[in-house]
Amino acid sequence: MCGGKLVIEVRNLTKQFMQNDDTSLLAVNDLSFSADKGEIVVLLGVNGAGKTTTMRMLSTVLQPSSGTARLEGFDIQKEPQKVRANLGFLSGDTGLYNRLTAREVITYFARLYDITDNVIYQRIEELSALLDMNDFLDKKVEFLSTGMKQKVSIARSIIHDPPVMIFDEPTSGLDILTAKNIISFINHCKEENKCVLFSTHIMREAERIADRIVMIHEGKLLAEGSWQDFKEDTGLNDLDDIFIEFVNRS
Amino acid sequence: MNLKKIFIIYKKELLDLLRDKRTVVTSIILPIVLYPMIMIGFSSMMSRQETKLEQKTMTAYLHDTINDENTASFRERLEAEETLQIMNQVPTFNRQTYLELIEDKSIQTLIEIQDSISDAGFQIYQIKISYDKTKEESELTYKKIKEIINKIEDEFVEKRLAKIQVQKEILNAVDLKEENIAPPEQMLGFALGKFLPYLLIIITISSASVASTDLVAGEKERGTLETILVSAARRSELVVGKYLTIITISIITVLLNLFSMYISFQHIIKQAGVDTGGFQLPLANFALILIIMLPLLTFFSAILLSLSTYSRNAKEAHSYQTPLMFAAIMLSMVSFLPGFELNLGFALIPIVNYSLLIRDIMLNNFNTMLLFVVVGWTLLFDFFAVKLSIYLFNNESILFRKNDQSLKFWGKNKKKNILSPQFAIIFFILIILALYYLGGSWQMKDLMSGLIKTQLIIFLLPVLLLLRFGKLDTKKVLQLQKTRPLNFLLVLISALPLIILAAILGQIINLFYPVSESYLKAMEELVNSDISLLSNIFIVAVLPGICEEIFSRGYLLKAFLSKGKWNAIIISGILFGVMHLDIFGLIPKSLLGIWLGYLFVRTGSIFIPMFAHFLNNAFAILISRFGDQIPIITNYIEDGIFPYWMIIPTIAVLYFIINAFENFNFRRE
Repeated sequence: MCGGKLVIEVRNLTKQFMQNDDTSLLAVNDLSFSADKGEIVVLLGVNGAGKTTTMRMLSTVLQPSSGTARLEGFDIQKEPQKVRANLGFLSGDTGLYNRLTAREVITYFARLYDITDNVIYQRIEELSALLDMNDFLDKKVEFLSTGMKQKVSIARSIIHDPPVMIFDEPTSGLDILTAKNIISFINHCKEENKCVLFSTHIMREAERIADRIVMIHEGKLLAEGSWQDFKEDTGLNDLDDIFIEFVNRS
Repeated sequence: MNLKKIFIIYKKELLDLLRDKRTVVTSIILPIVLYPMIMIGFSSMMSRQETKLEQKTMTAYLHDTINDENTASFRERLEAEETLQIMNQVPTFNRQTYLELIEDKSIQTLIEIQDSISDAGFQIYQIKISYDKTKEESELTYKKIKEIINKIEDEFVEKRLAKIQVQKEILNAVDLKEENIAPPEQMLGFALGKFLPYLLIIITISSASVASTDLVAGEKERGTLETILVSAARRSELVVGKYLTIITISIITVLLNLFSMYISFQHIIKQAGVDTGGFQLPLANFALILIIMLPLLTFFSAILLSLSTYSRNAKEAHSYQTPLMFAAIMLSMVSFLPGFELNLGFALIPIVNYSLLIRDIMLNNFNTMLLFVVVGWTLLFDFFAVKLSIYLFNNESILFRKNDQSLKFWGKNKKKNILSPQFAIIFFILIILALYYLGGSWQMKDLMSGLIKTQLIIFLLPVLLLLRFGKLDTKKVLQLQKTRPLNFLLVLISALPLIILAAILGQIINLFYPVSESYLKAMEELVNSDISLLSNIFIVAVLPGICEEIFSRGYLLKAFLSKGKWNAIIISGILFGVMHLDIFGLIPKSLLGIWLGYLFVRTGSIFIPMFAHFLNNAFAILISRFGDQIPIITNYIEDGIFPYWMIIPTIAVLYFIINAFENFNFRRE
């Protein structure tokens, strides 16, 4: 942390896609928000609101059309390598290599982060104990169940102990037990004083874990604040109703 | 780029690939198990079938119209042959019946004996053996019978000579012997040199394609691409790591294939009992070929990696690889063609250069300078192909290509779709097909009327119909607009320097790729036919000026305008070059197309490129008809060859003309 700056700073982030019929689509439109360490910020919006596009830009997979963001003080466009080195990213799209064993997958990503083999071995032992992965650590990924794969993915994303964790709809399509793994892991990250950015379209999930909620709709920022702030602002109690209220206001 | 990370990626990809059944089967199991089995099994089966065939008894019908003691001895001798059965003669001989019997394989041959008297009064036995060359047994029987009859003939001749007391030796006035001075190694090199390039190129591409498909398109399909993109690796490191993996797999496959082929080959030679005379395969040449194959192999790897990066899934990658494979097969077969020798020109054509070079190396007869040209040139291609892969990998709209840019021609926006690049390409391909099939046959029947039909029906009519169908404003799209007379004047002034430039360019290209005689003849026919000058100008200059411009500039260029002004000019120019279906004229005609496109965009009126096109073709006719009668031209040009120094003044003149164009039309804008 340089000079008390925020861990995630998103400034006027914009992404425009060209579509096949030559028209353009503003997936993310002039979005700004921030997140600090030890904080869980939830990016909340309906499907197609621009959550995934935002997160893919933060993880440097996509380039913004304009505006930018900083992670740990590193600009996503100017220093993408450093951004990724400080970031653990997990989404429904981050699959694992089926033909490798769980240990091989985790080791591969760890080596790319320049971690020495000794440290990698220790980290895997630690994470294996934390996530209860001992039984399948040396099995090939293709033979693992969805829940087991999810645990390997978590280990993969945190192997380098990054200060920033980004989760893009990590619970969608998962059963309750597997989803619970993720939620408890997110809380674990908070305890370790990491900055967590979490996206979901499930209001209840946001309600449960968020310190702060960033609502986006049609690529634009709708509202930002804690659940309590929202309640006071709208005089409503249910997050669903609050969300609809904000959509109507805009 | 960090070498350590590239190595980490390389190691992981290699491990990943070697655990993939498909890769292991196609690159390792197939060459070391299947190919030797097929080759050895095939050869032993072949030799067994051959002996079986030789031992089988064949049947022939002998129709003897003479029935003297000599012909009786023919029959005896043939009957004495163990594997030959001669049918008894029947009283009523019907030739057709026996030919049919040969057809349905009941008998193998029909022998007919007649006689005649030669000019000097000697009796000649005329023996006709009928057989079916497409039936192995029939041909084999024919050969057997021929051998026996030749022997009998020798005996007859000897008898006749003895009768007049002449020794047989008198017939041997000339003793002709042939000696093949090529050592056995070279003979083998000659045989191998023909098909080795083809084989090597096919193996290289097919092994690299399996690996490359899995590495990017396969990753997209399995959803692991996003994971690796958010890792600490740079995209360029990923590309290079994957690229090295593909190269490694290809090298392994090529080596295994060659090794197993070598072993099987040796085995077959031993089995066939061929006397190898102690000669070995030219291993030094093999080694050299393997070394120079590396740049080609890496080039293919990079191209296939780019294709894989562009594809959304493995299936798509395969369908993009197929045309590449076909093109490579066609080009690599140049080594089979007689008369193709590696020269500087061919050294610059990918694949063709390797095909010819490998052949020369196998013949132990190669030019070291050309070898370095081929290798260096391929390395250059290689470099750009890797750059392309990295570019594609960094381009998010390609890496995450969503759905196909399918044509929605029948959709709502008809106007826009007709003037889209995608539609233009399909339209262009249809026109090319029409040109090739229709235009070609029209021009074969009658050149001049064929040319007229081609211009009107293939170029002009489809564009007009298309615009009408799309309810587009023909005048606006084609830019049938008036322009200032000064533009026409500038075009007129530019015509002569352009023709000189084109001629010199043609000469330079000719140095590399000599034009064939038949081509020159066809071109001559076009400008020197016996029709009148005016109709010649009308057919070869006026019509193309109008029709080809409406197609190339009026439609094609306009359709590509969405890609940017200069892209549209260059793409439509190259398509214009391709359209002429003439490989020798591709470069000059593309440049002409680009110039015409430039005129079109600059002046905003189609009449200017039409006029320029007309002038270009008309001048060509005039020069070829009257060139040798104009003193100024003959002073400078000997035998139709322009001196190269003329490039400098022509470019200077053109520079001023373009400047004038820019200034004049810029002010107008």
